[in-house]
Amino acid sequence: MTKKPSSWSRLDNAAKIFPSTSGKRDSKVFRFSCELFEAVDPPLLQHALTSTLQLFPGFQCILRRGLFWYYLESSAIEAQVKQEWEPPCSPIYDKNVKGLLFEVTYYKNRINLEIYHALTDGTGALQFLRMLVYQYLLLRHADELHACPLLDYDASLGQKMDDSFRKYYQATRQKDHNRLKPAPAYRIRGPRVAEHRIQVIEGVAPVSAILKKSKEFGVTVTVLLSSLLMSAISGDMTVRDKRRPVVLSIPVNLRNYFHSETARNFFGLIRVPYNFGVNPASLKDILQSNARTFKEELTTERLGARLNMLSSIEHNAFARVTPLIIKDVCLRIAYDLSAREETAALSNIGRVSMPKELTPYIRLFDVFVSTDKVQICMCSFEDRMTISFTSAFLHTDIQRRFFRSLTGMGIPVEIVSNQINESLEATV
Amino acid sequence: MKRCDHCHVDVAGDRKFCPLCQNQLTESGGETREAFPYIPTIYRQYNLFFRILIMISIVAGVTCVTINLLVPNSGWWSAFVVGGIVCLWLSLAIGVRKRKNIPKNMMYQVVVLSLLGVAWDLLTGWRGWSLDYLVPIVCMCAMLTFTILYRVLHLKRSDVMIYLVIDAVFGILPVVFFFTGLLHVPYPSLICAASSVISLSALLLFEGDSLAAELKRRLHI
Repeated sequence: MTKKPSSWSRLDNAAKIFPSTSGKRDSKVFRFSCELFEAVDPPLLQHALTSTLQLFPGFQCILRRGLFWYYLESSAIEAQVKQEWEPPCSPIYDKNVKGLLFEVTYYKNRINLEIYHALTDGTGALQFLRMLVYQYLLLRHADELHACPLLDYDASLGQKMDDSFRKYYQATRQKDHNRLKPAPAYRIRGPRVAEHRIQVIEGVAPVSAILKKSKEFGVTVTVLLSSLLMSAISGDMTVRDKRRPVVLSIPVNLRNYFHSETARNFFGLIRVPYNFGVNPASLKDILQSNARTFKEELTTERLGARLNMLSSIEHNAFARVTPLIIKDVCLRIAYDLSAREETAALSNIGRVSMPKELTPYIRLFDVFVSTDKVQICMCSFEDRMTISFTSAFLHTDIQRRFFRSLTGMGIPVEIVSNQINESLEATV
Repeated sequence: MKRCDHCHVDVAGDRKFCPLCQNQLTESGGETREAFPYIPTIYRQYNLFFRILIMISIVAGVTCVTINLLVPNSGWWSAFVVGGIVCLWLSLAIGVRKRKNIPKNMMYQVVVLSLLGVAWDLLTGWRGWSLDYLVPIVCMCAMLTFTILYRVLHLKRSDVMIYLVIDAVFGILPVVFFFTGLLHVPYPSLICAASSVISLSALLLFEGDSLAAELKRRLHI
């Protein structure tokens, strides 16, 4: 009796941090949902999932511990579609349980895809969800959609599994001189939601209205919304707090700067600081400052320098032979230290496109991520932009100020939220 | 659909209060879409069970030490009780934490029980029973259990293999004690080492390729 040995792959550079730092408090799980105009049919969704997995074999794997590194090993575990039964972004990776690193659930009109960040980033997950929804709608409306064109994502298996960090890593001794000096940032405080749950508050707004407003200010949507977030955060700050800058961490899709079709992680982070202690708190000034920071940071050279810096740690001979138990501790400390330099995060996934034959069935897409702070994720579909706040805190002052500033600009907003019950509200 | 007149937003779902400002909402008609199910608090029922067990252990330990102190010249027998309780909890804690990966759990138990046994032996005036009997027997039991569990639980071969290898290598260790003259009763250790060598050889001969692949995965740098 011979069995084919299961294939395995290394974690990519960005994924290496997640297994060491994820836990109850921050599960490093993110969710993409697609809300349809009709209720989801579970058996058909299961069918669609099975055929989607055949196109994304890289998702059919479990995370294992080696002596020196974590690695992904292909697994024959069958993914099961379930009705949503856990709080959003509950932990997926448990080192004692061999399980797939994603979950597909449904609730009423929604198809949810929850993914552990070590497996892929937002772009990779979105490709998976798009294919899943595509397959599902083709099954659900076989009669009307028999002539639907294929999705535009045509990467080969090799391209999907590609570790793009390795591909673009250049061993150089050049230091990234423009890097911000590490300094503690202002940190949001307050009682947290019980059981390490997260509070999800989403605002759905017309894309056209937001685009029009950002054109008026002469900035991009990301700059506008990150400035509004900073301004909303500053509302809580005391005079003492203002000695520290508000720093937003912004994930950047590196596929836009380095050619890659990978369905695994390929993102970088930039930091956008604003010091309310020395600079005026008017939106205009924040916009100006942020537009400048984005322009400076978002260049191939700067992103490449950071990619090289992070990859060089992974390629360091000493780091490679350190046992995983020690690496786990070191990575957690490094992560905690670096987390002190960030106040909140904002991630713009951008426009989600689907073949136009399918758009009449889809109401919206949304995305959000687990966090132990406050984070905005946003994406848009047709004319609906979903701006999702996830927060580990009970208070909603930041969200209130943020969305009130949008409605104050005349942008209509519809609020969708998860239900944080009263009994969950008594914790510190 | 509801509406908050303070935030000027529409609110989806059946909410009484605005999620943003917690003020009362007004009805504005239209459908109420609920995007997230309500997930009730997960009561941690196991927690209470363990708390009661820990409480019983503490009461038992403290009572014994108190009685020991009240009855003079009875020797330090309460140290045995406290030591026993601590060892029980050490082993139980590992068992509970690793309960979802049984082969790994067993391997941890082998190592911890062996170490605890040697510690007890040392602290009670080294009679050598830990090395003579405990270590080889625990190793052999584990090897036997791995084989049975593999059949009974239909575990994946690669999941058991690595632990069997570690246990077999651990099982050869008593030979070192034999040659350094630490043993008074040699036959358990020798039987353990012999069966370890046989298990290892069988693994290498029949599962050599997958073992090599597994080691390559586990040890990649």
